[in-house]
Amino acid sequence: MSEGVPARDDVCPIMRIGDTLLVALQGELDDATVVRIEDRLTKEVARTHATGTLIDVSGLSVVDSFIARVIARVVGMVRLLGSEAVVVGIQPAIAITLVELGVPMGHLDTALDAEQGMALLRRLRVDGNRAR
Amino acid sequence: MATRGVEDRGPGGWPGELDAMLGAITDYAIITLDPSGTVTRWSRGAEAMTGFLATEVLGQPVSILYADEDRKNGLVEQGLRGARDFGRFQLEGWQVKKGGERYWANMTLSPIRDDHNALTGFVAVAQDVTERKKVERLFQDLFETAPDATVIVGPDGRIARVNRQAEELFGYRRDELVGQEVEILVPQRFRQSHPALRGGFLAAPRARPMGIGLELYAMRRDGSEVPVEISLSPLETNEGVLVSAAIRDVTERHRQLEQLRRQRDEILELSTPVIQVWDKVLALPIIGTLDSDRASRLTESLLEKISEQQAEVVILDISGVPTIDTLVAQHLLKTVQAATLMGATSIMSGVRPETAQAMVHLGIDMGQLRSRNTLRDALQLALRVVRERSELADRATRSIEVEELR
Repeated sequence: MSEGVPARDDVCPIMRIGDTLLVALQGELDDATVVRIEDRLTKEVARTHATGTLIDVSGLSVVDSFIARVIARVVGMVRLLGSEAVVVGIQPAIAITLVELGVPMGHLDTALDAEQGMALLRRLRVDGNRAR
Repeated sequence: MATRGVEDRGPGGWPGELDAMLGAITDYAIITLDPSGTVTRWSRGAEAMTGFLATEVLGQPVSILYADEDRKNGLVEQGLRGARDFGRFQLEGWQVKKGGERYWANMTLSPIRDDHNALTGFVAVAQDVTERKKVERLFQDLFETAPDATVIVGPDGRIARVNRQAEELFGYRRDELVGQEVEILVPQRFRQSHPALRGGFLAAPRARPMGIGLELYAMRRDGSEVPVEISLSPLETNEGVLVSAAIRDVTERHRQLEQLRRQRDEILELSTPVIQVWDKVLALPIIGTLDSDRASRLTESLLEKISEQQAEVVILDISGVPTIDTLVAQHLLKTVQAATLMGATSIMSGVRPETAQAMVHLGIDMGQLRSRNTLRDALQLALRVVRERSELADRATRSIEVEELR
């Protein structure tokens, strides 16, 4: 497996581990930042032909319905490019908030952390979307 | 009472007009004495107050009005001497009516002097203030026997009175507090802001608790602090508005509340146990009714445990829940959704036949949640899910390795 850091940016580091991309959403996101992240991530997925993308949200300071929609959007884009997407690092308090807000997150594939996320990605690649 | 004609001298010993005038004053006893203290004139007010008629008293020593003990103690002479030497002498004490009944009198003695400044007698003006005395006594008794420590503060912010309970609470003697600024009882860190708050109360004085919603502390003589509850009420007096502060020591209540809170936490903790039953498998036996307080508590501890144990499957056992209604189902679904967001799969267990019927009849939709009748079945399913997950992941890893080798 080859490892590399093809692109780094102060708002959103994207790392490549084998054929998996790891993108970490961090701090507070505004509209402009989100657009930049979407732009960079989609280009990166296309360029690397990554078959899986881990979206790590553990570094987000706030998660509200706006951020929840952003996450869902990013997942949708990544899937359209033929890569499986798994959201990792949702903290207990944030999970409760999202459920209380009633944000529909049921269609997302989620895992506790990057390690479990990698395992889930492997299952998804074998089994399509039905492994969960 | 005998009728009086208009004479040169009225029965009280005054010239007619003056007698009529003084006779109109019934609230005060107006008496003149000769230098030795013998009654020379006796107003109608004096008759009304003491029950002695003028005819009975004129020529008698004024000491007949005094209580025995006061007479023995020389209070009569002391009063006359005081008036003679100082020009005016005021005394308060028990006096005796004709029938022996006592009343509390406030008496002012003034000397009368002739053109050569020689003493010719005294004027005594007395008032029966028994009622006022009773009220004062009542107030004093109430004040001293009040269950709360009470501090009365004057408009200048200085302590005017304290009761015994206040002495005990603060550890000061009465005479150490009276005259001091009330801030002596306020902890250092609140002292600066207190006078302004005090002014605020005086601007709109009405009975109210102090510092609503705040935890109040008072400072004892030894510098220690005590949690208190304070009720303020204004007292209108001729010295201005006094503020009465009733101070209750709530140390014990604080302690009890703290203990209650701890016990409640412990009960909640006990009622939401999360058990690790297998590697990566957690079980959550839910016992009793699930209200929103418990449900959120339960969700929290479950999610913490998922993160701590790297759990992948959660079994929610509801065999201990008496009834599953729409509300309970909603709580359960939220818990399941939150667990899913953290990457854990949920399985429900302990659904009894009647529960299953009731849930469907109520139209409760548990979505994709897998459910089993017994905990044993649920555990089997959980282990299969864990095994499938890891096998799939292994197979995927192998296929990647194979691809890379090619």
